[in-house]
Amino acid sequence: MTKSEESKKTIKIENVVASTGIGAKLDLNEVIRILDGADYNKERFPGVVYRTASPKTAALIFGSGKIVCTGAKSIEDVSNGLTKVFEKLKAIGIDIPKKPEITIQNIVASADLGTVLNLNAIAIGLGLENIEYEPEQFPGLVYRLSNPKVVMLLFGSGKLVVTGGKRPEDAEAAVEKIVEELDGLGLL
Amino acid sequence: MQEIEKVKEVEKSEREKIKESIKQRKEKQKLGAFEKATVECPECGSHTLVHDYERAELVCNECGLVVDADFIDQGPEWRAFDHDQRMKRSRVGAPMTYTIHDKGLSTMIDWRNRDSYGKSISSKSRAQLYRLRKWQRRIRVSNATERNLAFALSELDRMASALGLSRNVRETAAVVYRKAVEKNLIRGRSIEGVAAAALYAACRQCNVPRTLDEIGEVSRVSRKEIGRTYRFISRELGLKLIPTSPIDYVPRFCSGLNLRGEVQSKAVEILRQASEKELTSGRGPTGVAAAAIYIASILCGDRRTQREVAEVAGITEVTIRNRYKELAEELDIEIIL
Repeated sequence: MTKSEESKKTIKIENVVASTGIGAKLDLNEVIRILDGADYNKERFPGVVYRTASPKTAALIFGSGKIVCTGAKSIEDVSNGLTKVFEKLKAIGIDIPKKPEITIQNIVASADLGTVLNLNAIAIGLGLENIEYEPEQFPGLVYRLSNPKVVMLLFGSGKLVVTGGKRPEDAEAAVEKIVEELDGLGLL
Repeated sequence: MQEIEKVKEVEKSEREKIKESIKQRKEKQKLGAFEKATVECPECGSHTLVHDYERAELVCNECGLVVDADFIDQGPEWRAFDHDQRMKRSRVGAPMTYTIHDKGLSTMIDWRNRDSYGKSISSKSRAQLYRLRKWQRRIRVSNATERNLAFALSELDRMASALGLSRNVRETAAVVYRKAVEKNLIRGRSIEGVAAAALYAACRQCNVPRTLDEIGEVSRVSRKEIGRTYRFISRELGLKLIPTSPIDYVPRFCSGLNLRGEVQSKAVEILRQASEKELTSGRGPTGVAAAAIYIASILCGDRRTQREVAEVAGITEVTIRNRYKELAEELDIEIIL
């Protein structure tokens, strides 16, 4: 279906969140002393926030040794970001396992369906069980899919956001599904 | 191995298809049975069946077939010729209502110290009656759940009165709240929050929507909290509420602005056209309604300023300005300022 392919071409990954761990406890005060550019407000947030310029990401380093990296625009960027953090920590003298497991927790992607959407009709057509559409509160329609297990925000302009996926294929599958369903209802 | 898996998958999908078709058939049957409950004449299929109380017959109005004979009259066995007699003979009290925690079914001992024959009661029994009255009043709210329910329902009543809502909206809200209590959704939330959310849901369900702002004004909870609680409640209770249509707000805003019926119908017409052209997607319904009323008021000559309309609708002037420009452009309406 060309409509689905057109929409798939417009899929752009906006944010990737990954988590990993070094397996051992960290002394955060040590980390901020030596790592420059790191923020640590104990009362506000229990982790150190280390922002890298390239790739432009933010790494949250916790006392348990777990690290979360957000803000990356692609999966390679998030790996690079984490590798940079590991190198910095190694330089301080903290030992890091050879192959740390990086698990991607969330991928946020945006896409464009190309046409103006009638959100009211879509809300009724797709069934009010999986739909949240409160124009008084938020201009977008929230559609929770069970497989892939993602949440899609549809807007009146035809643009949409897919979030909650763990793989980039989830976003593609979701876009395909929504194009199929909307086409079936004749709302596209 | 792969082939076996494929065959298994095909079988599974077919089984699911069969299950779906069975489910749909059952639903149709249920609907069919429901339709039969609203009786229709077995011969001509008409729905106009008349109760003939003189002969105790249920007769079809079209073909004259006697559908049911000797039906039981469910009224009282006495007759009354004026209001006082009826009050004296009647055995029933006020109708049952869900807006009181005991559903309106509890009773009180009358304050008059007279027995059923009209004689005064002895002083010993009078003291006893006084104690009985006190205990009867105390027992009415028996445990913590009922006390919370009573508090919540009084909150609902207060808010509904402040907003001037009709009886059926109050009943609906009370029913929604009771369902929430049954499903134990109140835990971890403020009672006022759930009551406000139930009221919001009831207003929407009865097609007299009140904006979250309006409910937030009369409630002790913030608008954001009410919205969040409402989303949670509607999800858990499975309340399928369609998004509010701007047309539902028009009568209220128009009467708030003292506009004639002509302006009102013009505004509704504009909104119909707008929804056909899909201009209302993603726009708050109050904003669109207010803009339509603004345009209608100009077109009918009975102008209201943007500020007045914005105040009645509870939105900003900027919103009206943006919306009315969109509407005027898309619907080719000329605004003569």
